[in-house]
Amino acid sequence: MSAVSEQLVLEALKKVQDPELHRDIVSLGMVKNLEVTDGKVAFSVELTTPACPLRERIEEDCKRVLAGVDGVKELAISFGAQVRGSKSGAGQTDLLPTVKNVVLVAAGKGGVGKSTVAANLAVGLKMHGAATGLLDADIYGPSIPILMGVREGPTKVAVDGDYKLKPPLAHGLPVMSIGFFLEPDQAVIWRGPMLGKALHQLMADVQWGDLDYLIVDMPPGTGDVQITFSQQLKVSGAVLVATPQDVALADVIRAKSMFDKVMIPIIGIIENMSYFICDGCQKKHEIFSRGGAERAAERFNIPFLGEIPLITSLREGSDKGVPILVQEPRSEVSRIFLEIAAKLAGQLSIVSEKARRAQSLKIVTS
Amino acid sequence: MAMMSGHVPVEINHMRQEGMVRVTWDDGHVGDYPREYLRGYCPCALCQGHGGEIKFIAAPNARLAEISAVGNYAIQFGWEDGHNTGIYTFDYLRSLCPCPQCKSSKAGAAEKEG
Repeated sequence: MSAVSEQLVLEALKKVQDPELHRDIVSLGMVKNLEVTDGKVAFSVELTTPACPLRERIEEDCKRVLAGVDGVKELAISFGAQVRGSKSGAGQTDLLPTVKNVVLVAAGKGGVGKSTVAANLAVGLKMHGAATGLLDADIYGPSIPILMGVREGPTKVAVDGDYKLKPPLAHGLPVMSIGFFLEPDQAVIWRGPMLGKALHQLMADVQWGDLDYLIVDMPPGTGDVQITFSQQLKVSGAVLVATPQDVALADVIRAKSMFDKVMIPIIGIIENMSYFICDGCQKKHEIFSRGGAERAAERFNIPFLGEIPLITSLREGSDKGVPILVQEPRSEVSRIFLEIAAKLAGQLSIVSEKARRAQSLKIVTS
Repeated sequence: MAMMSGHVPVEINHMRQEGMVRVTWDDGHVGDYPREYLRGYCPCALCQGHGGEIKFIAAPNARLAEISAVGNYAIQFGWEDGHNTGIYTFDYLRSLCPCPQCKSSKAGAAEKEG
């Protein structure tokens, strides 16, 4: 019987496709530490995110193709993850060099639960094993400190003769908010240039450390803050949060047209307040109708990441500063959040593959 | 309104000697923009005011000092006289392409529109 060679194993593994990136795992460089000795085959698959929703499928596919290779007696596949960066953006200085993926959570209008979704997405990615941070850029109504139960502001640390702000940790996540710099109960009444400056500081003067994902809770609407982000930051993409009724579609269109103009890809739509399950009769009530956001996603060919129900415990957890994922990790709504976080991570892997292939802009003088 | 071309530049070369900016696009298209031409079509509100069609505003001897990228979507040109408020979106820059091929297709489209 002929001995198996590394070559033969790699040939076989080339038939395994990453279901999201639509390329084989060998040419994507995901197969690592391949060892073949006396028919014993061992390797690890480096996923593009620890939150990979397709891990089992990739594992099964690997087993299937290697079962067809003569002489493979033992097979040991391990899994690791190396989150790839997906920030696209032309040559300008990157204000967040230690952050691999920056995701803006946005909505065309206020009151759709964007901050709650942002907080739970960040916690969800963290629970999947990714280093994640949360930045509250909602200048007008910074609510992340309350939602995450952060009471202390950032601390000053000396870095290279300069000072940086070290964000406080909330449920294991570094969290930064414009709210830390305001007196409680005071409103922000600033003109555009002030906003831009404050945001710049929240990005450049903060010691985020190495992060796989930074989730940014954006202010609602389409204005100064959105422009600042699109001009000063390398952003991976935006996630839109919408409610189910038909008018939500108009908000999605508005938000989409803004992000299109500044060329920030929209990587998903999430429907919030999709339905309410009555604790008395267990019946699903579709208070705001249902499916509006999904229809909008279909119409614009944007991935639909999921629908989140209206649940009293979600609101209670938020008010207490304990995200539902921390409070009731096994509940149905937590399962939904984890699934949405995994889908988001999957979409970011796709974006990163595109960003890697697209040549970056070179500016030269001759 | 200009149509969205969706093309992005891959290289911007400021050719000082020739007084031109050569833009190479992701589809392989190459356009040479004379600097006075670029400056004349500066889209900023200081040059163009608010509203109305974009006009050519002659600025003889305009000299380029700096070229920088803006986010994912535009290029900013800084001039030696200190003017630097013009943000040229990729689509706008592409629509300005002065190469004979682009010029003639634009003229053709204008005729059709009558």
